Amino acid sequence: MGRLIAEHGPLLGVALSVAQIFAFVVVLLLSLAFLLLADRKIWAAVQMRKGPNVVGAFGLLQSFADFLKFVFKEIVVPAGADRTLFLLAPLLTFTLAFIGWAVVPVAPGWVIADLNVGILYLFAISSLGVYGIIIGGWASNSKYPFLGGLRSAAQMVSYEVSIGFVLITVLVLVGSLNLTDIVENQEGGLLNWHAFAPATIVVMFPMFVIFFISALAETNRPPFDLPEAESELVAGYQVEYSSTPYLLFMIGEYLNIVMMCALLTILFMGGWYAPHPALETVFIPPVFWFALKVCFFFFLFAMVKAIVPRYRYDQLMRLGWKIFLPTSLAAVMAVGAYVTYVGTG
Amino acid sequence: MNAFLLEYAPILIFLGIAGGLGVLFLLAAHLIAPGDPDPEKVSTYECGFNAFDDARMKFDVRFYLVAILFIIFDLEVAFLFPWALRLGEGGAFVFWSMMVFLGVLTIGFIYEWKKGALEWE
Amino acid sequence: MDVATLTASLQLAAPEVMLAVGAMALLMFGVFAGDRAAMLVNAAATLLVLAAGAAALFYVPADGGEAFSGSFVVDPLATYAKVLIAAMAAAALVLSSTYLQNEKLAKCEYPVLVVLAVLGMMMMVSSRDLIALYIGIELQSLALYVLAAFNRDSLRASEAGLKYFVLGALSSGLLLYGASLIYGFAGSTQFTEIAIASGEPSIGLIFGLVFLLSGLAFKISAAPFHMWTPDVYEGAPTPVTALFAAAPKLAAIVLIARTLFEPFPVLSDEWRQVLMAISALSMGVGAFGALAQTNIKRLMAYSSIANMGFALVPLCAGTLKGVEGMLIYMTIYVVTTTGIFACILAMRRREGMVEEISDLAGLSKTHPGLATALTVLLFSIAGVPPLAGFFGKLYAFIPAIEAGLYWLAVFGFLMTVVAAFYYLRLIKLIWFDEAEQPLIAAPREANLIAAGSALVVFPILILPFAAGPGLELISYAAGSLF
Repeated sequence: MGRLIAEHGPLLGVALSVAQIFAFVVVLLLSLAFLLLADRKIWAAVQMRKGPNVVGAFGLLQSFADFLKFVFKEIVVPAGADRTLFLLAPLLTFTLAFIGWAVVPVAPGWVIADLNVGILYLFAISSLGVYGIIIGGWASNSKYPFLGGLRSAAQMVSYEVSIGFVLITVLVLVGSLNLTDIVENQEGGLLNWHAFAPATIVVMFPMFVIFFISALAETNRPPFDLPEAESELVAGYQVEYSSTPYLLFMIGEYLNIVMMCALLTILFMGGWYAPHPALETVFIPPVFWFALKVCFFFFLFAMVKAIVPRYRYDQLMRLGWKIFLPTSLAAVMAVGAYVTYVGTG
Repeated sequence: MNAFLLEYAPILIFLGIAGGLGVLFLLAAHLIAPGDPDPEKVSTYECGFNAFDDARMKFDVRFYLVAILFIIFDLEVAFLFPWALRLGEGGAFVFWSMMVFLGVLTIGFIYEWKKGALEWE
Repeated sequence: MDVATLTASLQLAAPEVMLAVGAMALLMFGVFAGDRAAMLVNAAATLLVLAAGAAALFYVPADGGEAFSGSFVVDPLATYAKVLIAAMAAAALVLSSTYLQNEKLAKCEYPVLVVLAVLGMMMMVSSRDLIALYIGIELQSLALYVLAAFNRDSLRASEAGLKYFVLGALSSGLLLYGASLIYGFAGSTQFTEIAIASGEPSIGLIFGLVFLLSGLAFKISAAPFHMWTPDVYEGAPTPVTALFAAAPKLAAIVLIARTLFEPFPVLSDEWRQVLMAISALSMGVGAFGALAQTNIKRLMAYSSIANMGFALVPLCAGTLKGVEGMLIYMTIYVVTTTGIFACILAMRRREGMVEEISDLAGLSKTHPGLATALTVLLFSIAGVPPLAGFFGKLYAFIPAIEAGLYWLAVFGFLMTVVAAFYYLRLIKLIWFDEAEQPLIAAPREANLIAAGSALVVFPILILPFAAGPGLELISYAAGSLF
C-alpha cells in the first residue's frame, strides 16, 4: 500500500508492505490448495466417485502431496524447444495471475493497492495472460502445443471483447474504475447488487450471465476447454510441460479462475456486502461474505465442468462473436441511455 | 516520489514477490529433481509416432483474422472506458457522441458478418 | 463543445459528412445486395462524389472559416482543391466501370473505397492541425493501399499493394515522428499555435519539419521517396492508377503548401532548401527514369515523379505567386494525366489491356480520333506551346526566377527537354509506325473523358477562361495562405 509507505517512511513502510503482500500470497496459495481439492471432490461426487481420500483426513492434504510430487519430478525440455521461452511462459502466466490480485478488495480497506484505475489495470493484466499460453505453445516446438496455443489465444481474445463490454456496463452504472467504489455502489442488500437491482435487472442480469460464461471461456474451462480437448490435442499448450513448470501453469490457471469468481462477486454480487444489511453484524466479518460468494462461484465453475458437454470450436467462436458481442454492445447502449435519461438513481 | 506513484509501489513489490516465487519453484525442481535426459525422453510428443516436420508450421489465416478483429474491438472498449466514467454528468451530448462512434463500428461489424469473416466452418 | 458549435462545424464540413455517411450507406447496400449491384454502387458513388464537390462549391461558403475548434478550415484554397479532387475522382470512377466488368473485378467495395479515399483527401486539404492532417492522410492512404491490391488474384497487384503499404507505413512513421517533434517543441498541434511558437525556431522544430516534409514527399511520390511509384502504377488496376495519378497528388501537394506556409512562415529559408532539393531530384529522376521504360503505366509513373518536381518549383519561391503557379500547374497536370489514362483505358485488345508502349504503333491509322486526343495530351504534358502544359510550366518557373532561383529554373527547363524526348517517342509510334493488331471498340466513357480533357488542354478553348476569371480564381484560392 502506498498508504503504508507514506505513513511509516520508506524503510518500515516497504517492509510492512512486503510482509502484507507475502501474507496475502500465502493465504491465496493455501486457499487455492483447498479449492483445487474441492474442484476434484465436486467432480468426483457428480460422477459417484469418492475422489482423493488417502492423503490426510478426507484427502485434505492431497494438494500438498501433489505439490511435493511436482517438485521431485524432472524438468523435461523437449528437443528443439526454445529453452528460455519454454521456461519463461509458465513463469509469465504464474506472475500475471498473481499480480492481478493486487487491486482486488476482499473487505473494506483490505486491498494491496487501491488504484483509481483498478478495472483498467485488471483488463490490461488479463490481456497479457494470453502471452504465457501462446509463448508456451510456440516454444515447445511440438504440434499439439502449437495448435492448442493458437486455439487458446483466439478463444481468449474472442471472449475478452465481450468481457470488456460487460465491464463497461458496470462502469457506466458506477462512474468509477476503482473496485472499492464499485462494491460500495452496491451497499444495502441483495436488491442493490448490480445483477439484481430491479431498475436494470432486464439488462444487467443477462450481462452477469454473459460475464460468467465468458469467464469460463477466458480461463479455458469446460465446456470451452478446446485448447486441451484431450481427444484432439492431448493437453493443448501444456503437453510438453512437466514438473514445476507445469505446476506454475496450473496454479496460474486456477488463480485466474478464482480471480474471475472474485470479479463476478465484486462487479455483480455486492462484493463483501451481505444479502441483507441486517446480516452485516460484528460477528460476521465482511471478508466472510466475500469468501462465501467466491466459493459459490467456484462451485458453479466446478459443476459446469462436471455436467456440461464440450463445445465444438466453430460453435464456440459463433457464441462469442455472433451472440455475446452484439448482445453486450447493445447492453452498453441500453445502460448508457438509462444513465443519461433516467439517471443512476 | 509523489503519492500517485506510491500507489503503484505495492504492485511493483507484488510483481517481485510473485516472480521470485515462480523462479523459486523452478529452481527447486531444478536442484532437487533428477536431471537425466535421453533422446527418447526429450523427443516431442506425437501420440507415439516419431515426430516429423517442423512443428512451427503454417496455420489457418482465420486465427489472424480473429486477432485483427480483436484489436479493433479491444480499442473500441478502451475508448469506452473514459466515456463510461463521465456519462453520468455529461448528459445527452456525451451519450450521442459515443453512439455515433458505436454506430460506425457496428456498420463495420455488420459488413464483417455478412462477408463471412466470423464463420469457422 | 455544445450542440450549436457542433452544428456549425458540421455545416462547414458538409461535403465530408456527406461522403462519410454516403460511404457507410453504400457499404451496407453493397454488402446486402451482393456484387450484382456493384455497377449500381459505382454509379451511386460517382454521383455522391460529384454531389460532395457541388456541396463544397455551392453549399459551404468558400470563406467559411474554422470548424472543430480550429483543426478544420474552409478557405478558398480548400474549396478549390475539393472541387478539383471531386471532379478527378468522379472521372476515375467513371473510367473504372467498363474495366472492372471486363476484368471481373466488379465488386461493391471498390467504389466505397474510392469514396473513403476522397473523404481522406478532402480532410487533408482542410486540415489545420497535425492530428486532423494525419487522420486525413491515413484515411486516404489506407483506402488506396487496398485499391492498389484490388485485383487479389494478380501477383503484380498484390505485390504493388504490399509494397505500397509497407513503404506507406514507413512514410507515415516519418510523418508521425516529425509531428511529435513539432508538437514537443511547439507545444501544440494546431497550425496557428505552431506559427506563434516557430517565431523562435529551435533545432527540434526544424528536425520535425524535415521529417514531416519527408513523409509528405512520399505521398506525392517526389524523389528520393519515389521508389514505390513505378511498381505500384504498373501493378495496380489501370483505373486505380488513373486515380492515383491525379486526385491524391493534388491533395498532398495542397497539404504541403498549407503545412509549410501556415505554421512555418518564419522557417521558410530552411524548408525552401529542402523543397529545392526534392524538386530538382524529382525532375531528374522522373525525366531520366522514364527513358528506358517499355510499359506505358511505368512511363506515366516516372512522368508523375517529374511533374511533381515541376509543381514544387514554384513553391520553392515561398511567395504568393509561387502558390498560384503550383495551383495552375497542378490543375493542368491532373486534367492532362486523367485524359492520358482515359486514352490508355480506351485501348483494349482481345487478349487484354494495352500496356506496352510498342502496342501504340499505328494508332493513328486505326483510331484517328483517339490518336489525336492522345497526341494533344502528350504534347501538353511535354510542355509544347501553345498547349496548356506550356502555360503551366511558364507559371511554374516564373515565380522561381523572380525569387532568384535561376539554377532551378534552368535545370527544370533542361529536364523538360529530356522528358519531351520520350513523349515525342510515343507520338512517333502513334503516327509513323505500322499497326500490328487492331484494338476492339473502346468504352464510350473513356473516349468522352479523353476527348474532354484534350479539349481542355487545347489552349484556344481555355485561354479566354484561363487568362481572366480562371487566374483570378486561382490567386483568390492561393491568397488564403497569406
